[in-house]
Amino acid sequence: MKISDKTVLQNLGFCGFGGAANVAAVDVLDGRIARIRPLHYDDDYSPEDLNEWKFEVRGSTFRPGMKTLLPPISLAYKKRAYSPNRVPCPLKRVDWDPNGERNPQNRGISPYERISWDEACDLIAAELVRIHDTYGNRAILVQGEGHGETKIISGPHGCQSVLLDNIGPEPGEYTIQARQPDSWEGWYWGAKHVWGCESHGQQNPQDLVALDVAQHSDALLFWGSDPETTPWGWGGLQPSRLCFWYTEIGVKQIHIAPDVNYTNAVHADRWIPILPNTDAAFQLAIAYVWMTEGLYDREYVETHVEGFDWFEYYVLGNEDGVPKTPAWAAEKCGVPSYRIKAFARYWGKRRISISHGNGGGYVRSCFSHEPARLEAYLLGMQGLGKPGVNQFKFIEWGIQGIFPVPPSAVQPVLYASYKGWIMAPPKYFIPKTMTPDAILGQDRSISWYGHVICSMNREDQFLGFEYPGDGPRIHMIWSDTPCWETCWNGGNSYQEAVRHESIEFYLVQHQWMENDTLMADIVLPISTVFELADVSCDLNNGQWAQVTYEEQAIEPVGDSKGDYAAVCEVARALEKYGGIYEGLLERFTQGRSFDDDVRIAYENGEIPLDEFPLEDFLERKYVLFPTEKDWEDRPHGFSNFYEDPEGFPLRTPSGKLEFYSLGLAEHFPDDKVRGPVAKWIEEADGHRERIHSDRAQDYPHLLVSNHPRWRVHAQHDDIPWTREIATCKVRGKDGYQYEPIWIHPSDAAHYGLENGDVAELYNERGRVLGGILVTERVMPTVLYQDHGARTDVLEYGVGGLDRGGANNLICPTKTSSRNAVGEVTNGFLVGIRKVDVDELRERYPQAFARDYDPDCGLVATARIVGDANVGARSVSEEVCHV
Amino acid sequence: MSKAFLIDLSHCNGCYNCQVVCKDEHCGTSWLPYAAEQPVTGQFWMRVDEKTRGQVPWVRVSYVPTLCAHCADAPCAAVCASDAFVRRSDGLLVLEPEKCTGCQACVDACPMGAIYFNDDAFIAQKCTGCAHLLDNGWALPRCADSCAHDAIQFKDEAEYGSLLSEAEALPGVSGLGPKVYYLHLPKRFVAGSAVDFAADEVVIGATVAISGAKGFRAELVTDELGDFKFDQIPDDQYSVTITAEGYEPLTVTADLTELDLSLGDLSLIKA
Repeated sequence: MKISDKTVLQNLGFCGFGGAANVAAVDVLDGRIARIRPLHYDDDYSPEDLNEWKFEVRGSTFRPGMKTLLPPISLAYKKRAYSPNRVPCPLKRVDWDPNGERNPQNRGISPYERISWDEACDLIAAELVRIHDTYGNRAILVQGEGHGETKIISGPHGCQSVLLDNIGPEPGEYTIQARQPDSWEGWYWGAKHVWGCESHGQQNPQDLVALDVAQHSDALLFWGSDPETTPWGWGGLQPSRLCFWYTEIGVKQIHIAPDVNYTNAVHADRWIPILPNTDAAFQLAIAYVWMTEGLYDREYVETHVEGFDWFEYYVLGNEDGVPKTPAWAAEKCGVPSYRIKAFARYWGKRRISISHGNGGGYVRSCFSHEPARLEAYLLGMQGLGKPGVNQFKFIEWGIQGIFPVPPSAVQPVLYASYKGWIMAPPKYFIPKTMTPDAILGQDRSISWYGHVICSMNREDQFLGFEYPGDGPRIHMIWSDTPCWETCWNGGNSYQEAVRHESIEFYLVQHQWMENDTLMADIVLPISTVFELADVSCDLNNGQWAQVTYEEQAIEPVGDSKGDYAAVCEVARALEKYGGIYEGLLERFTQGRSFDDDVRIAYENGEIPLDEFPLEDFLERKYVLFPTEKDWEDRPHGFSNFYEDPEGFPLRTPSGKLEFYSLGLAEHFPDDKVRGPVAKWIEEADGHRERIHSDRAQDYPHLLVSNHPRWRVHAQHDDIPWTREIATCKVRGKDGYQYEPIWIHPSDAAHYGLENGDVAELYNERGRVLGGILVTERVMPTVLYQDHGARTDVLEYGVGGLDRGGANNLICPTKTSSRNAVGEVTNGFLVGIRKVDVDELRERYPQAFARDYDPDCGLVATARIVGDANVGARSVSEEVCHV
Repeated sequence: MSKAFLIDLSHCNGCYNCQVVCKDEHCGTSWLPYAAEQPVTGQFWMRVDEKTRGQVPWVRVSYVPTLCAHCADAPCAAVCASDAFVRRSDGLLVLEPEKCTGCQACVDACPMGAIYFNDDAFIAQKCTGCAHLLDNGWALPRCADSCAHDAIQFKDEAEYGSLLSEAEALPGVSGLGPKVYYLHLPKRFVAGSAVDFAADEVVIGATVAISGAKGFRAELVTDELGDFKFDQIPDDQYSVTITAEGYEPLTVTADLTELDLSLGDLSLIKA
């Protein structure tokens, strides 16, 4: 019996910026993907070959593991390739006529018809030329920065920007939608101003912090952190293995959050439930206990901290007459005062580190910079950098020198052949959080601070920008990142923006008919990684750095092409216009073949070629780079700063931990919300999202909308094998698979809700449906629904209704605070009520009649009419076999 | 030599990899004569049974990967009139699709619910131990191969040594010579905190003693957060007594026959 014809390697990580983990062995049989499985390093390497690192602590040994540590979303990924929701062929919205009525108001409503690649590219080229000649290319908004498959040569996000760089006298003449630090807003906009850690704002240096915790910490706090979920798409399951090991060696794991996330559910020794985004009150009360009971490291504060007295003055109530006592905090955060005191004393007497894995509640809520700064203060008061006292990051290992586990001696980068947008300061841009404002505010300009891009340094936040300035307004959107509405701050406003008449052309290139794609005027069908050849780079797995030669596993599904190939087709069509478009394809491709790109990427990848020749890479298909020698000598975390703050100053103006931020004081002297000292902010800058806010009378529950367990943001929502897991979808009585809403039994009883009921979450921004899961995994009064569900819109725009449960649609639209344009996508007020699905069906008969398969959700044919179904059938036929 | 699965639940993180890769292997792909295609959804030859235990703020989720136990004394095989169950030399019990007549007697006979009926193909189906892979050079079935924690092991029974003597089978099959063993199957827990509400303080170092109706007894002291937790104790009716110097003793009952319990914040009154 043949169990496979060939095996190819694919990087099945989903962060989408040229490097991610999760290299899988993909077995192909009869031209189809037969199975996806871990790659076993020990088939090719011995531990000695790799200079295997080991942590030997408290009588136990932790080893990196000799196979890749794949999450289920990678192992099940063939279902995405063969999804009945694949874009089958180039599509045009039926009532978008570039020479007549464009009907922007029908975006999201009118269906699509099949066109050929030539027709599509001719239409696109004509529009690009028209836009260029009418407004200039700055009228094109490039959305090319989202999460997605890990690609380098075959076309990562932002491939279209590289083409536009080759049109006109100089590069950069278009408007970039600047990608925010969307999962670590508070660290970026807040904590950096305390400890200067670049560029994400979480603790950096991270060297060997995973080991330091094992050796020296009594406990590890998980402050909303969920290493069993958020690192899956980036680094796989090494964080999970570490959590088990910490339990084995007696490192206590304490979770502070409104919900029992997937790490808490398995690893926690203690859960302290807290109301969403009230952590700042809890943190201030801890500081109060420490200050009044002498439970902090005064000597350290003396030598390592700038402006402690300002903070002390505020905490003790001298500034506003309100001491930040445990009793004061208990009212705000719902943690009883006796528990706050006990916890503060426990912490004050122990060595404790705090973990994060991106996401978590408070760091994505309104005023997120405040609790993020306060966390850095608390670590500072306990001697940050002391053995056992660090902030430990469970994700993005290998990025920006973050090595909580021992690094490989070689850290390859394959950017020399990277075909996407590089996260550098763009010439023209708008913050992603302000896209609706930019488009809808036709008679006004908008302004903000900072390039907003997640790789910028602290000082960048002091630069002011505005749109449209002296340039044109946006009239075209070209997106390969069509998930704004289900990932960002106020998707219903985004829907209004892209349905605005000023948007003359909305082009999307994507693999699936999902989310924003359904509002495009033209959709280009894109191949998945299985259908493409590429190389990849894995620095994030927590084992060894790796480069992988990814052969094409299967033929393209439907009429799809890779992103790069698709943009090449557009270049070809543009060349017909001559002039500035003459020779465009050659300029864009630089005449390089795929093999050239592989060679150039590898040879410029900071890889010692004498030791690791290209030929070996091409033959073996992957290279693991051994652990660096003498890795044990790396100083742990912030230990250098701890021992010698003068010799190893921080990247803050004073070089110290700034409890009083000199930068913020200088540049934003009038900002009371993100002032020089972090504080409790009840309401401000358009946010009234507290249980004591007046809005809570209408919307009495705070919603936790974590990064999803069974998706990476908007990705993976059509995988049948996750959709049948109880926490992934809830089947309503109508057979539809709803996004779960967790509700505590006491609240469920109050509303008469039972498991399997369909309910809606609502506020003035709109309504989203969900399936009820009555559970003890969420504290009373709080509701929980993962973010990023695929939209199934019944009514578009503000006040609209979504059946898919995409709660970003009803998030606040305002940013973190006035001068910090982060997203606010967690911990906001909603109401809940049961809905009658039969009534909805009567009210929205067309939407309820859309082609739907409970195994995968909406299918492509739901939106396609006429001949295009020919293409759709070719996808469906393949689906039948898998 | 007979193979056996050993599943250590203290290392199961609930990722569902085992359930998912089983589907990756069998859904939509036929491995005749070992197995016919599994429907895309609805069958779980490897099924993760998930259960949320306890109440706020003491909550835990148990995940128990459950599969055909390949019992030596298999009731499914005994009721099969068409000899479709074939015992391999490695001990795996394979239900050969080509011999199955669709009578469904085996589906009803399995105490684990591990056999599924495929209406379209009109056959019963279940875990094969990935015999088609084992016969083609693989050492492990897909579920074990995909587990990042080695929580699912698959070896010759003898290779486990003394580990199997600590292991248990699931209750439904324990007398049938099952080849699937578990370590750390969930039992019960009871937890809570001791609080002096008048003083607005937790009570640290209080002695907490539990006594079960069937005789199980244990004792511990509240920790620095005033908390106590008895884990992996037998299901039973318990009496819980908290004593602390200067306080009236407090006794409460805890019925753990059906559920794990959070007793919440228990009030200690100054003597």
